[in-house]
Amino acid sequence: MAARTLSLKKRGFTFEVFMWAFTRFTVIAMYGLIIAGILGALSLSQQTGMNVGDILYWAFFPNLAENPLGQVWMTILAKLMVIAFVLVACGHGVHGVLEIWDDYVTSESARRWARNIVITYAVVASIVAMYVILSA
Amino acid sequence: MGLNRNISLSAGLGYKGGSAYLTYILHRIGGSALFIFFTVYILSLLGMESMQALMGNWIFQTVFLTFGLFHAINGLRITILDLSPKLMKHYRAAINIEWVAYILVAGFALLVVFRNAFGG
Repeated sequence: MAARTLSLKKRGFTFEVFMWAFTRFTVIAMYGLIIAGILGALSLSQQTGMNVGDILYWAFFPNLAENPLGQVWMTILAKLMVIAFVLVACGHGVHGVLEIWDDYVTSESARRWARNIVITYAVVASIVAMYVILSA
Repeated sequence: MGLNRNISLSAGLGYKGGSAYLTYILHRIGGSALFIFFTVYILSLLGMESMQALMGNWIFQTVFLTFGLFHAINGLRITILDLSPKLMKHYRAAINIEWVAYILVAGFALLVVFRNAFGG
């Protein structure tokens, strides 16, 4: 298989290049957040004596579980990290779902409708997630 | 992006592209599974008890982990090869390493799920 012969500079900044970069960098951000989240949970577990699983469960379901973290700054940091992860995952997922849809559906109107529906869904779902996580 | 497909859907799905094509298809299935999981997660956050019960169901967890972990590990391989094109000539070796990593990680994750579901 041949290696890439055209540099990013020569490719130009088209929509495809932007979406390629967006998908790659959101996935790198997700890996970073996963590693930081696991290390953070392990560190908090050591400091507070709480179970790592309980900390992670509360972080993703703050409205269903008791806050195991004593200090306010820990709570804020954990919530911000989970929100960042949800937003990045949502952005990455929207592009992926639309790419799959576009590959198997050839009708232009079906593609347009799918794009509108999926993007609207992603925006609404992200807002709901942010609201619940922040307000819990 | 073309608006016309030159081959039928069944012919496309039956394409024998080897391990690279298998990872491509599994990556798409995994991505779709994660999108469904995201929806279940959002509905759980909204307080829907049926969705919370679904997230606790071992069959749902098995499907999510089987496909979700493959998507994550395969995505890491794609990202590394994409950002380092010189490594592309080793893509078959990368896929083999990926399978080993996937079997180890998914095996451990499923072991935990099954142990919690069936005790022991």
